[in-house]
Amino acid sequence: MSVLAAVNVEAVVIFSIVLSITLLITYWASKRMTGTSTFYAAGRQITGFQNGLAISGDYLSAASFLGIAGLIYLYGFDGFLYSIGFLVAFLTVMFLLAERMRNAGKYTIADVLSFRLNERPARTAAALGTLSVVAFYLIAQMVGAGVLIQALVGIDFTLAVILTGGFMLCYVIFGGMLATTWVQIIKAVLLMTGIIVMSLFVLERVGFNPIELFNRAEANTTPESTFSLGPGTYLDTPLDTVSLGLALVLGTAGLPHILMRFFTVPNARAARSSVVWAMCLIGCFYLLTTFIGFGARVVLGEAGVEAAGTGGNLAAPNLATALGGGEGTFGGDLFLAVIAGVAFATILAVVAGLVLSASSAVAHDIWSSIIRKGQDSEKEEVWVARVAAATIGIIAIVIAVIGGSGLNVSFMVGLAFAIAASANFPALLLALTWRRFNTTGAVCGVVLGVVSAIGLIIVSPGVWPGADSETGSPIGWTLANPGIVSIPLGFLGCIVGTLVSSERGAERSFHELFVRSETGLGAEKALPGH
Amino acid sequence: MAEPSDRAGTQIDWEAIERSPEFQELVTRRRRFVLPCTVFFLAWYMAFILVCAYAPDFMGESVYQGLTVGYCYALTQFVMVFGLGLLYLRKSDKEFDPLAERAIEAYADDEGHPGARFGRERAGAPAREARR
Repeated sequence: MSVLAAVNVEAVVIFSIVLSITLLITYWASKRMTGTSTFYAAGRQITGFQNGLAISGDYLSAASFLGIAGLIYLYGFDGFLYSIGFLVAFLTVMFLLAERMRNAGKYTIADVLSFRLNERPARTAAALGTLSVVAFYLIAQMVGAGVLIQALVGIDFTLAVILTGGFMLCYVIFGGMLATTWVQIIKAVLLMTGIIVMSLFVLERVGFNPIELFNRAEANTTPESTFSLGPGTYLDTPLDTVSLGLALVLGTAGLPHILMRFFTVPNARAARSSVVWAMCLIGCFYLLTTFIGFGARVVLGEAGVEAAGTGGNLAAPNLATALGGGEGTFGGDLFLAVIAGVAFATILAVVAGLVLSASSAVAHDIWSSIIRKGQDSEKEEVWVARVAAATIGIIAIVIAVIGGSGLNVSFMVGLAFAIAASANFPALLLALTWRRFNTTGAVCGVVLGVVSAIGLIIVSPGVWPGADSETGSPIGWTLANPGIVSIPLGFLGCIVGTLVSSERGAERSFHELFVRSETGLGAEKALPGH
Repeated sequence: MAEPSDRAGTQIDWEAIERSPEFQELVTRRRRFVLPCTVFFLAWYMAFILVCAYAPDFMGESVYQGLTVGYCYALTQFVMVFGLGLLYLRKSDKEFDPLAERAIEAYADDEGHPGARFGRERAGAPAREARR
């Protein structure tokens, strides 16, 4: 078994514990599966605090944990800049969407759009937006999972992707949103505990004086280092930085798997408190990633750059080994195994949320509402959602295995945020707030947002790394992040589409949507009792 | 299950609620709070991004030893997020939620449910949702 030659035994034990717990939860949830409301929205019985944890679990991917810590280790401040965008984005969600979504929606983004718009085109457009975002985000996470598990545990990339995908499908298919929620909650607790413990170990090295950590991090560089306590080392093109910043702060408000979480709480009040809980948890998490990144800089130094791999993804695990006593010691191996287990749980929780939101778009929007025109039974819809989840999951596994570890993870996550901010966010916001908005506007906005975001990525220097016209971008496009162009285009599509068309009914049903979204009158209710 | 079977929802006069002074007050007051907050946080955040992008050297200057201007500015973003989050929770509990309840009072509690806040929207599921 050459594949398993370098397997880390402690890591396998911890992985098994994590997986056993999640499988028990899935079994428990499957016994409580009563229909679409349980499958998509956990019966709307999740409390505000639980949902806050679950949102953190849904949101903080391995890219946040290992990726940001790695970027901070390699580049210092610029890694932190990402965290700020990821966090401030929750203000956008809180002020503009969370409560309104809960009051007006049922299971998907499309529910909100189709409430006042012509149902079939509006749902098709929303499903297009959802599936585009999920496609890129999911494949990015699967590839990331494979790479990380291969490096951390020593099992082969393909096997790691298949294992991740298999467990993800198990949670979603058998346990739906109820199991996914609890997997996300457990993951959030594990992740927070892991990062707090690790930060304490780091701070202990500098006498619990954060300023001293900054000083030593800066001191522990060589002339070749890219590390800096100021910006501009990783994000060195100003306009690109602005474009990225814009996509980060508006993108979260268009991520279907995050917005879907607001349907799992009993009312708008719980939706609101869950955002604030999520902000606190995510904010603390990102503050602590700075300690991890700086800790890695202090402990591993410039000599550890090569071992930290692409983007510094392995800086945090390597730091854990060093803090535990070094490679080959029991403490070092154990700490590494714990961090690997946390990273694995992190990935599983995120991909489960993604697959669930994609399957809801397929089953609830496309199958039940468009193809069957609402004539199907609830049982049929849940069954279709399971088949959809399996199909989407298998496609993602196959693409991740074929694309292999060469696919650029952060590039695809950036693309997912750009599409979310350019396609989903403008249409949702305008549907909830602009009286005149209509179906043509929604379709134009979503299509223009998706097409421009993907189009600009295809011609971006990330895809065409060369400097000349032979290997460089075919149209000479220099921005890596499309947000600054594609987000205004998404809004423009919505507005122009609306103004050039006239439609009866959209404005009339706005009264109902407006009153519902502002007051919660007629909102979907929680299933009775526990 | 999720969809209550009452068809009373069709009888809700949404336009009348929308025109009511209670609803208008709710919308106006919430907008008066949310709009300036949104403008403020977007401006404060985008200013941070712009300074990072176009004046990286300024952000890299030391305030106290290894603590740079950039990190101080970044920390204000955290304070802003926590501050606005808690402020909005308080405002909503004290001001917006009671107003919302008053705006839909006429449609609440006709099933004799004790009025747990927002547990009372039972009256108004529109018929289009009750598709089964």
